[in-house]
Amino acid sequence: MKTAVNRIRGVERDIVQTPQAGDTAPYYEPQGNEIAIFEAAYKKRLPIMLKGPTGCGKTRFLEHMAFQLGRPLVTVSCHEDLTSSDLVGRFLLEGAETVWQDGPLTRAVKVGAICYLDEIVEARTDSTVVIHSLTDHRRRLTIEKKGQEIEAHEEFMLVISYNPGYQTVLKDLKPSTKQRFIAINFDFPAEEIERKIVFNEATGISAEIVHQLVAAGRKARLLKDHGLEEATSTRALVYAANMMIAGLDAVAACQVAMVNPITDDIELADALMEIVQAHFSA
Amino acid sequence: MRTRNHTISDLLGELQDQSHAVHHEVEQTLPMIELHGADVTLAWLAACRTLFDFDREAGRAFIRGSAEAERISETVLPWTEQALEFMRWRGSWRALEGFMGNLPRAFGSLGHAGEKRWAEIGFAWCARQIDSGSAYFSTPVLELSGRQGISGVEQVSTPAEELFESRKLMLSTYLGGAIRVRNLLGAQAILPWALRGADILQSGRARGEAYFRLESEESLALLLEHLSGFRLVDRNRLLGMLLDVWYGGDFDVKESNWSPEKGRPFVETDGRSLYVPAVMSNRDEAILAVLHGAGHMRYGTFDRLAMKEMFAAANLEFPASGPVSWTPLFTRYGDDALRFQLIFDLCEDLRVDFRVQHEVPNYLHRLAVTARETGARHPESGPYFDLALSTVEGALRTVRAEGRADERFMPLLDPTATIADAYRVATDIYSQDTLPRVSDLEALHAAYLPGRGPNATRLAHPQEQDDQQQQTQAGAEQQSEQQEQGEEENATAQNAEAGNQQEGGKREEVAGYGESSGSATQSASKADNERGSRAGSDKGVPYPEWDYREARYKRNWSWVQEKRLAESNMAETNRLMKQYSNALKRLKKAIQSQKPTRMAPKLRQFDGDDMDLNAVVSYVAEKQAGRSPKADIYRRREMRQREIAVTLLADMSTSIMQHLPEGGGRLVDRVRAGVLLFAESMEEVGDSYSIAGFCSKYRDNVSYYNIKDFDEPLSQDVRSQIGGMSGRLATRMGAAIRHATARFEGIESRRRLLLILSDGRPEDYDDGGDRRYLHEDTRMAVKEAVSKGVHPFCITVDTMANQYLPQIFGQGHYLVLDHINSLPNKLPEIYFRLRR
Repeated sequence: MKTAVNRIRGVERDIVQTPQAGDTAPYYEPQGNEIAIFEAAYKKRLPIMLKGPTGCGKTRFLEHMAFQLGRPLVTVSCHEDLTSSDLVGRFLLEGAETVWQDGPLTRAVKVGAICYLDEIVEARTDSTVVIHSLTDHRRRLTIEKKGQEIEAHEEFMLVISYNPGYQTVLKDLKPSTKQRFIAINFDFPAEEIERKIVFNEATGISAEIVHQLVAAGRKARLLKDHGLEEATSTRALVYAANMMIAGLDAVAACQVAMVNPITDDIELADALMEIVQAHFSA
Repeated sequence: MRTRNHTISDLLGELQDQSHAVHHEVEQTLPMIELHGADVTLAWLAACRTLFDFDREAGRAFIRGSAEAERISETVLPWTEQALEFMRWRGSWRALEGFMGNLPRAFGSLGHAGEKRWAEIGFAWCARQIDSGSAYFSTPVLELSGRQGISGVEQVSTPAEELFESRKLMLSTYLGGAIRVRNLLGAQAILPWALRGADILQSGRARGEAYFRLESEESLALLLEHLSGFRLVDRNRLLGMLLDVWYGGDFDVKESNWSPEKGRPFVETDGRSLYVPAVMSNRDEAILAVLHGAGHMRYGTFDRLAMKEMFAAANLEFPASGPVSWTPLFTRYGDDALRFQLIFDLCEDLRVDFRVQHEVPNYLHRLAVTARETGARHPESGPYFDLALSTVEGALRTVRAEGRADERFMPLLDPTATIADAYRVATDIYSQDTLPRVSDLEALHAAYLPGRGPNATRLAHPQEQDDQQQQTQAGAEQQSEQQEQGEEENATAQNAEAGNQQEGGKREEVAGYGESSGSATQSASKADNERGSRAGSDKGVPYPEWDYREARYKRNWSWVQEKRLAESNMAETNRLMKQYSNALKRLKKAIQSQKPTRMAPKLRQFDGDDMDLNAVVSYVAEKQAGRSPKADIYRRREMRQREIAVTLLADMSTSIMQHLPEGGGRLVDRVRAGVLLFAESMEEVGDSYSIAGFCSKYRDNVSYYNIKDFDEPLSQDVRSQIGGMSGRLATRMGAAIRHATARFEGIESRRRLLLILSDGRPEDYDDGGDRRYLHEDTRMAVKEAVSKGVHPFCITVDTMANQYLPQIFGQGHYLVLDHINSLPNKLPEIYFRLRR
């Protein structure tokens, strides 16, 4: 996918992009049996829900799977004003005519893409209801405004993600929505795997630094119950590693990538810095 | 020449007539004086004579001190003249005695010029008040100058001159304390300290004097407050987090009763708790010390089997139960005990630190770096410090696989080594007899590397093998035992554990209400009130309770009585409003800035004052497309239907009466402030809310205090009730949750949130010590609430809450606030985050 992006960098392009021959797969390191689960669900075209904390690799996993399965991936980041017409489509005026424009979901249903609704809990509940008919045996999208229905393309698949943090206590998905999905739980990868990931994502970093970085990150996650809203993510570790490659001193890199972004609490930042320094100040 | 000799012998004769003893002393000193020539001798003898005539004691003191003064100063006349000055004041013999006693040191350490200045300052004091002069001259010069030469003397004296002028503060009252304050805090601290003291002195003599002797609480508190260095007490949250990160678990951390007078501060442990001093010299030392102390607890210093083995090796009997004293291990060495103790600590500390290194990367490195920066601090015990440092460096080499440590210490670097091995290594090294004897306490203290300290300062509480993972429980459960021992920590321990009957699992108080809290009488009287008011009313509302042992509900098991809070406290409310006025302003501002989005106009209305542009466009477009869209093209500014209703349910058990470990009042103060800020900001938001508190005593006696109902305005009455909130009795949380859930009935809102503010686990007097019982019941109550459309969310200040809250409320449905002082500000914030 990376090369696909490179080809058309800075150019407007359609959201539906099928992987081309010669593209390289997005890097993904399996943590468990998630690939097998995904493949099985894909075989049966069952919708999937990815659960897990921010920055643990949900989106990357999906990019990887879409590439492996040779399907285009349509991603919609949900927000609280997202309406069902943002997903399904709307009429637009063009001169004296009106033109119907498909929304991303409709596009995906038509071309048989994998449609990814990121952070679905953020969307208004009325807009999430439109996916119901797509997620059961009907596999059909109703376009109420046009009075039409579309049978989904046989390759179409729906994936949603959500992060069960305490921020969403009041915004939980409705049980009736939840139970339509195959759910895969993600967490931060095991130490060995996380090392591999950081090593791969930050080209040119030494194995020893990766070792320390991952160890520090894992310790930092233990502070989650002390007031951190989000724990130090694998992504933050990768950022830190990249900052080091770019020439920043290790402690400073960790501070800007792993400490400053996640907390404003001085005491907590202090504790995080203690961890960083313990691992890097030799 | 002859006449002079004649005069000398005349004077000697006169002295002999007056006192034989004095003559004898003069004769002894005379040869040394005579070396300075006959004129000088004559002057000196004349001075002896004059002073003796002036005051026999003064004369004696002069004569006695002369030999040494001459030896050090190699002069006679200057100090002889100075001594004669004392004749200006009556009753000055004591001052002169002090002067003569200190002369040699004054010459030695201050030099001739310094000595002159020292004497002048003293004379000025004698002139002001002779007692002050005596106090000045009797104080050893080295103490007075703080080894800083004459400027040190002036540092202490100048503020005193000011205070004498303005407040008539005597030097004798002030001097001892001032010197100590200067040594501890530096010269700049003296004046503020003394000014405060002068104020206190005016209000009461005894209290003031205790203050100046640094014996009163307020004096000590002031000192601790101004002590420079890393303040462990203020940073206990950081330390707690670090312990959690590196050792994965909570430790019972208490403040020790260290005061600056006791010398170098150390972190100590008795196997159950860590005792931290208020201040340590710097951050590195403090963190090393806390990690090291916890290392002792975690890595078997208190392991019962290992300790037993060690005692056996020393041919000592090991007590079968109860705390163990270290003393017998050392008393065997008699006068040389300190030497052995140092060696033994060195070995055991090395063993522990090497283990800590496996948990905390670069620990040994940091230790070595910090130690090198400090350097050996005392000549007497320098070799110990150096040896300890070199063993740490050796261990570091082993860790980095760059070489080996000193062979003698290698056995300690084995991960299976125990304290018994440390003891064996220590006896070997002791027998090699290469290390010097240590006699002085200061030297002993200086022998320890930063972060280390004497290990045997407290009675040890041996741990069974598996307790080492769970010091926390141990710390709390054995409180009674601790009190029996009459340990010095009693006062602090009680404070820390006062309200903690939740933690204690102790059931002795079942019969009483008081617990060990400072509010005993208060809660007892409240309980009486309650009983009185209850007499007329019925049993309240029954709720079922879940019994996990039988996996069934017990019907009508817990009874909840709803009542109003009897006590209110408007003064407290006003005080809190004032104290938190800034925080409240900030909160309200934040709420207002969020308002536009919340008060967003209703879109797609059939009538209204404005066009909804998006709706119009799609209306026109759809119209053109030949459809007949609904004419919902207006927007209206109007509050939406109430989206959310929230109940704040505060745990009002005894434990909230406990004093905060970081000082600054009690937990209940923060709870009141938090509830108040919550109420005030809810008024700003406009969400429907109610406030309640609960406590319990036995299953049929759960009190639910309805402080503010959903439809009740936030009146002065409600505000003052919040100010009157206090703790009593226990925490039967399940019943309270069920009742709060029931109260949501008939409240029109899409979302219902039940915020529970707690400080400990669910417990009641009749749970038979089975914690799980009420845990399970609370878990079921939460489940019931969820199924009724109420979202319970628990906010707790119990830092051990993550041991039980995940099971009760579920991951992500609770929040541990480990910083209690932030509670008032955080509470509304948390709510806004939840309702986002």
